[in-house]
Amino acid sequence: MPRIAGVDIPDGKPIRIALRYIYGIGPANAELVLKEAGIDGQIRANKLTEDQLAQIATLIDNTYLVEGTLRRAISQNIARLRDIRCYRGDRHRRGLPVRGQRTRTNSRTRKGKRKTVAGKKGVKALK
Amino acid sequence: MARSQKKGPYVDEKLYRKVEKLNQMNRKEPIKTWARVCTVVPEFVGHTFLVHNGRMFNNVFVTEDMVGHKLGEFSPTRTFRGHTTGTKAQRSTGAI
Repeated sequence: MPRIAGVDIPDGKPIRIALRYIYGIGPANAELVLKEAGIDGQIRANKLTEDQLAQIATLIDNTYLVEGTLRRAISQNIARLRDIRCYRGDRHRRGLPVRGQRTRTNSRTRKGKRKTVAGKKGVKALK
Repeated sequence: MARSQKKGPYVDEKLYRKVEKLNQMNRKEPIKTWARVCTVVPEFVGHTFLVHNGRMFNNVFVTEDMVGHKLGEFSPTRTFRGHTTGTKAQRSTGAI
Protein backbone atom coordinates (compact mmCIF):
# COMPACT_ATOMS: atom_id res chain seq x y z
CA MET A 1 0.00 0.00 0.00
CA PRO A 2 1.59 3.29 -1.09
CA ARG A 3 2.30 6.02 1.44
CA ILE A 4 2.59 9.68 0.51
CA ALA A 5 2.92 12.70 2.76
CA GLY A 6 2.85 10.86 6.08
CA VAL A 7 -0.13 8.75 6.92
CA ASP A 8 -2.19 8.88 3.77
CA ILE A 9 -2.57 5.45 2.19
CA PRO A 10 -4.97 5.65 -0.74
CA ASP A 11 -5.02 2.49 -2.85
CA GLY A 12 -6.64 0.82 -5.85
CA LYS A 13 -7.88 4.09 -7.35
CA PRO A 14 -6.35 6.01 -10.26
CA ILE A 15 -3.50 8.02 -8.82
CA ARG A 16 -5.06 11.36 -9.76
CA ILE A 17 -8.04 10.42 -7.58
CA ALA A 18 -5.97 8.75 -4.86
CA LEU A 19 -3.87 11.87 -4.33
CA ARG A 20 -6.99 13.78 -3.36
CA TYR A 21 -7.16 11.74 -0.15
CA ILE A 22 -4.32 13.93 1.06
CA TYR A 23 -5.60 17.00 2.96
CA GLY A 24 -4.58 19.96 0.84
CA ILE A 25 -4.51 18.19 -2.51
CA GLY A 26 -7.69 18.63 -4.54
CA PRO A 27 -8.54 17.90 -8.16
CA ALA A 28 -6.47 20.81 -9.49
CA ASN A 29 -3.36 20.18 -7.40
CA ALA A 30 -3.49 16.45 -8.12
CA GLU A 31 -3.36 17.10 -11.86
CA LEU A 32 -0.54 19.62 -11.44
CA VAL A 33 1.58 17.26 -9.38
CA LEU A 34 1.20 14.46 -11.92
CA LYS A 35 1.92 16.74 -14.84
CA GLU A 36 5.06 17.98 -13.13
CA ALA A 37 6.15 14.41 -12.40
CA GLY A 38 5.23 13.25 -15.89
CA ILE A 39 3.06 10.40 -14.63
CA ASP A 40 -0.16 9.22 -16.21
CA GLY A 41 -3.01 9.98 -13.84
CA GLN A 42 -4.99 6.90 -14.83
CA ILE A 43 -2.49 4.45 -13.37
CA ARG A 44 -3.78 2.80 -10.20
CA ALA A 45 -2.04 3.85 -7.03
CA ASN A 46 -0.78 0.35 -6.28
CA LYS A 47 0.57 -0.09 -9.84
CA LEU A 48 3.05 2.78 -9.48
CA THR A 49 6.74 1.99 -9.15
CA GLU A 50 8.69 2.93 -6.03
CA ASP A 51 10.51 5.59 -8.03
CA GLN A 52 7.31 7.22 -9.19
CA LEU A 53 5.91 7.25 -5.69
CA ALA A 54 9.10 8.78 -4.33
CA GLN A 55 8.96 11.40 -7.05
CA ILE A 56 5.40 12.34 -6.19
CA ALA A 57 6.18 12.35 -2.48
CA THR A 58 9.14 14.71 -2.77
CA LEU A 59 7.23 16.97 -5.15
CA ILE A 60 4.36 17.32 -2.70
CA ASP A 61 6.70 17.76 0.26
CA ASN A 62 8.55 20.55 -1.45
CA THR A 63 5.79 22.52 -3.09
CA TYR A 64 2.56 22.07 -1.14
CA LEU A 65 1.33 22.64 2.36
CA VAL A 66 -0.50 19.47 3.27
CA GLU A 67 -1.99 17.72 6.27
CA GLY A 68 -0.76 18.92 9.65
CA THR A 69 1.27 21.80 8.31
CA LEU A 70 -1.67 23.12 6.33
CA ARG A 71 -4.08 22.69 9.21
CA ARG A 72 -1.67 24.56 11.48
CA ALA A 73 -1.23 27.34 8.92
CA ILE A 74 -4.99 27.80 8.66
CA SER A 75 -5.59 27.92 12.39
CA GLN A 76 -2.69 30.34 12.75
CA ASN A 77 -4.30 32.63 10.18
CA ILE A 78 -7.54 32.57 12.13
CA ALA A 79 -5.69 33.08 15.41
CA ARG A 80 -4.01 36.12 13.89
CA LEU A 81 -7.38 37.61 12.94
CA ARG A 82 -8.63 37.00 16.47
CA ASP A 83 -5.57 38.54 18.08
CA ILE A 84 -5.68 41.82 16.20
CA ARG A 85 -9.32 42.21 17.22
CA CYS A 86 -10.55 43.06 13.77
CA TYR A 87 -14.05 42.49 12.45
CA ARG A 88 -13.25 39.18 10.83
CA GLY A 89 -11.57 37.93 13.99
CA ASP A 90 -14.62 38.92 15.95
CA ARG A 91 -16.88 36.91 13.65
CA HIS A 92 -14.66 33.88 14.08
CA ARG A 93 -14.78 34.30 17.84
CA ARG A 94 -18.55 34.45 17.83
CA GLY A 95 -18.96 31.59 15.40
CA LEU A 96 -20.86 33.69 12.89
CA PRO A 97 -20.28 33.93 9.14
CA VAL A 98 -17.17 35.97 8.38
CA ARG A 99 -17.79 37.21 4.86
CA GLY A 100 -20.84 39.38 5.24
CA GLN A 101 -23.54 36.78 4.71
CA ARG A 102 -26.98 37.32 6.16
CA THR A 103 -27.66 35.94 9.60
CA ARG A 104 -31.35 36.69 9.93
CA THR A 105 -31.98 33.32 8.36
CA ASN A 106 -29.67 30.51 7.32
CA SER A 107 -26.02 30.61 8.41
CA ARG A 108 -26.74 27.28 10.10
CA THR A 109 -23.34 25.88 9.24
CA ARG A 110 -21.64 28.48 11.39
CA LYS A 111 -24.27 28.87 14.04
CA GLY A 112 -24.95 25.19 14.52
CA LYS A 113 -28.27 23.61 15.32
CA ARG A 114 -31.22 25.90 15.91
CA LYS A 115 -31.64 27.04 19.50
CA THR A 116 -35.38 27.60 19.87
CA VAL A 117 -36.31 30.56 22.04
CA ALA A 118 -39.44 30.03 24.15
CA GLY A 119 -42.20 32.58 23.70
CA LYS A 120 -40.97 33.71 20.35
CA LYS A 121 -43.38 34.02 17.45
CA GLY A 122 -44.03 30.71 15.75
CA VAL A 123 -43.04 28.50 18.66
CA LYS A 124 -46.65 27.60 19.43
CA ALA A 125 -47.23 26.72 15.80
CA LEU A 126 -44.36 24.25 16.01
CA LYS A 127 -46.01 22.23 18.76
CA MET B 1 -13.37 41.81 -6.05
CA ALA B 2 -9.89 42.76 -4.91
CA ARG B 3 -8.41 46.14 -5.71
CA SER B 4 -6.16 46.46 -8.75
CA GLN B 5 -2.48 45.84 -7.96
CA LYS B 6 -1.54 48.69 -10.25
CA LYS B 7 -3.11 51.24 -7.97
CA GLY B 8 -1.51 49.97 -4.81
CA PRO B 9 -3.24 50.16 -1.44
CA TYR B 10 -5.62 53.00 -0.71
CA VAL B 11 -4.13 55.23 1.94
CA ASP B 12 -5.80 58.40 3.09
CA GLU B 13 -3.46 61.22 1.99
CA LYS B 14 -4.03 63.55 4.88
CA LEU B 15 -3.75 60.84 7.46
CA TYR B 16 -0.56 59.53 5.89
CA ARG B 17 1.03 62.97 5.93
CA LYS B 18 0.11 63.37 9.55
CA VAL B 19 1.73 60.07 10.44
CA GLU B 20 4.85 60.91 8.47
CA LYS B 21 5.13 64.20 10.29
CA LEU B 22 4.93 62.42 13.63
CA ASN B 23 7.47 59.86 12.48
CA GLN B 24 9.92 62.58 11.52
CA MET B 25 9.54 64.21 14.88
CA ASN B 26 9.81 60.77 16.44
CA ARG B 27 6.67 61.39 18.37
CA LYS B 28 3.58 59.34 18.91
CA GLU B 29 0.22 60.73 19.74
CA PRO B 30 -3.28 59.51 19.03
CA ILE B 31 -4.69 60.67 15.72
CA LYS B 32 -8.41 61.19 15.41
CA THR B 33 -9.68 60.00 12.07
CA TRP B 34 -12.80 59.23 10.12
CA ALA B 35 -10.82 57.48 7.38
CA ARG B 36 -12.08 53.96 8.04
CA VAL B 37 -11.36 52.89 4.49
CA CYS B 38 -7.69 53.74 4.81
CA THR B 39 -5.37 50.73 4.58
CA VAL B 40 -2.90 50.24 7.40
CA VAL B 41 0.61 50.63 5.99
CA PRO B 42 3.89 49.71 7.75
CA GLU B 43 4.52 53.36 8.63
CA PHE B 44 1.48 53.27 10.92
CA VAL B 45 2.87 50.56 13.18
CA GLY B 46 3.18 51.67 16.78
CA HIS B 47 0.84 54.61 16.39
CA THR B 48 -2.53 54.92 18.01
CA PHE B 49 -5.54 55.99 16.02
CA LEU B 50 -8.92 57.06 17.18
CA VAL B 51 -11.14 55.55 14.53
CA HIS B 52 -14.67 56.85 14.24
CA ASN B 53 -17.43 54.30 14.14
CA GLY B 54 -20.27 56.69 13.44
CA ARG B 55 -20.87 57.49 17.07
CA MET B 56 -17.55 57.67 18.85
CA PHE B 57 -13.84 57.21 18.37
CA ASN B 58 -12.38 53.81 19.15
CA ASN B 59 -8.83 53.41 20.31
CA VAL B 60 -6.80 51.41 17.80
CA PHE B 61 -3.18 50.69 18.57
CA VAL B 62 -1.60 49.47 15.36
CA THR B 63 0.61 46.39 15.53
CA GLU B 64 2.62 44.74 12.79
CA ASP B 65 -0.04 42.09 12.22
CA MET B 66 -2.59 44.73 11.27
CA VAL B 67 -0.74 45.88 8.17
CA GLY B 68 -2.89 45.33 5.10
CA HIS B 69 -6.19 45.65 6.94
CA LYS B 70 -8.38 48.73 6.89
CA LEU B 71 -8.66 50.97 9.91
CA GLY B 72 -12.41 50.46 10.00
CA GLU B 73 -11.98 46.76 10.65
CA PHE B 74 -10.81 47.60 14.15
CA SER B 75 -13.63 49.92 15.07
CA PRO B 76 -16.91 48.00 15.14
CA THR B 77 -20.01 49.93 14.12
CA ARG B 78 -22.60 47.71 15.74
CA THR B 79 -23.35 46.94 19.34
CA PHE B 80 -24.83 43.56 20.08
CA ARG B 81 -25.50 42.97 23.71
CA GLY B 82 -26.98 39.52 23.24
CA HIS B 83 -30.57 38.36 23.43
CA THR B 84 -32.54 38.44 26.64
CA THR B 85 -33.26 35.13 28.27
CA GLY B 86 -36.67 35.94 29.71
CA THR B 87 -40.08 35.45 28.17
CA LYS B 88 -42.04 38.25 26.58
CA ALA B 89 -44.28 38.60 29.65
CA GLN B 90 -41.35 38.86 32.01
CA ARG B 91 -39.71 41.48 29.89
CA SER B 92 -42.79 43.70 29.63
CA THR B 93 -43.19 43.76 33.41
CA GLY B 94 -39.57 44.72 33.76
CA ALA B 95 -38.65 41.55 35.63
CA ILE B 96 -35.39 41.36 33.72
